[in-house]
Amino acid sequence: MTTDQIRGDEYQVEYDSGSSTVRFQGTVRLQTTDDYAPVNELLLRAHDAAAGGQLSLDFRQLQFLNSSGISMVSKFVIGARKRDQVRLTVLGNRDIYWQQKSLGNLQKLWPNVQIEIL
Amino acid sequence: MSTATETLGAWEDLAGAAALSHQRMDLDAAQLEQYWRRCSLSADFWSRYTALFVPGDAPRGRLSQNNLAHVLSYLLNELFENCAKFSDGPIRTVRYECVVRPDDLVFTLTNHIAPERQPGFARFVGELLSADLEALYIQRLEESVESGAGGSGLGYLTLMKDYGIRFGFGFAPAAEGSVAVTVQAHVQLEEH
Ligand SMILES: Nc1ncnc2c1ncn2[C@@H]1O[C@H](COP(=O)(O)OP(=O)(O)OP(=O)(O)O)[C@@H](O)[C@H]1O
Ligand SMILES: [Mg+2]
Repeated sequence: MTTDQIRGDEYQVEYDSGSSTVRFQGTVRLQTTDDYAPVNELLLRAHDAAAGGQLSLDFRQLQFLNSSGISMVSKFVIGARKRDQVRLTVLGNRDIYWQQKSLGNLQKLWPNVQIEIL
Repeated sequence: MSTATETLGAWEDLAGAAALSHQRMDLDAAQLEQYWRRCSLSADFWSRYTALFVPGDAPRGRLSQNNLAHVLSYLLNELFENCAKFSDGPIRTVRYECVVRPDDLVFTLTNHIAPERQPGFARFVGELLSADLEALYIQRLEESVESGAGGSGLGYLTLMKDYGIRFGFGFAPAAEGSVAVTVQAHVQLEEH
């Protein structure tokens, strides 16, 4: 089992190969596409490692994500749809308002995405 | 605001409006950009401050204090980020104002741009105000994957589509050949 992680002042993103999960924590409101590149690259590594199986994106401990971050995650989902190599599950938290409101959008981009708002 | 203001969308003249509270703060766009986390910090402060006007256990159909604080933090962070990213020209002041009323909140952010930027922004706004938001949202994302373009252009779209926030936009000539851009966000306390 390996973990691959990125830490910022207010957030942490980690890939846990054992559970094939990318876990987001804290508040992610980065400034530019370049600032988001490391997170995007972590997602792509997780995708490649999970090819042929399943991958979970766990947002349950993510308080805030700005629209640039929503865009980055959305584009990752479109990329995964185009490659069609993983079964993607998205985990959300019903007590965090933006997740109730916006996580469902990912399924509109790729109907095969399974969304579980717990 | 002067009569020379050109407006689009849900614009309301708030001069002298009756309200439970008026808030105002001036910031510097260049500093917001340099110390980026100030966008998030300012958004968190004003969202929590303002949400205290509504009860923790709101009646059915009204936003609870927690959910309101959450929406406002997302909204204000997007608006401060835009002022930081898109201010242009000699005037760097960013003005935050808020009017709190029993059934709605109106946030007004003003920043300045060079006149040649106005047509592009006005075109963007025109499309936003007349579009099918669901379709535009998907289209923007699919196109930016195809083109590999970096920008996202999802800020106002997510706020309108997912939270039912209505926007007004004003453009007015300002000192030193600048254009003052004013963005008004109308938040209903009734849940969307
Ligand atoms: N305050 C502003 N002053 C000048 N131009 C603005 C302002 N706000 C938005 N714009 C223009 O409108 C466009 C759309 O803004 P929006 O917030 O929807 O997307 P974005 O900031 O480009 O990306 P995102 O918010 O998704 O990271 C911007 O790209 C910019 O050209
Ligand atoms: Mg924006």
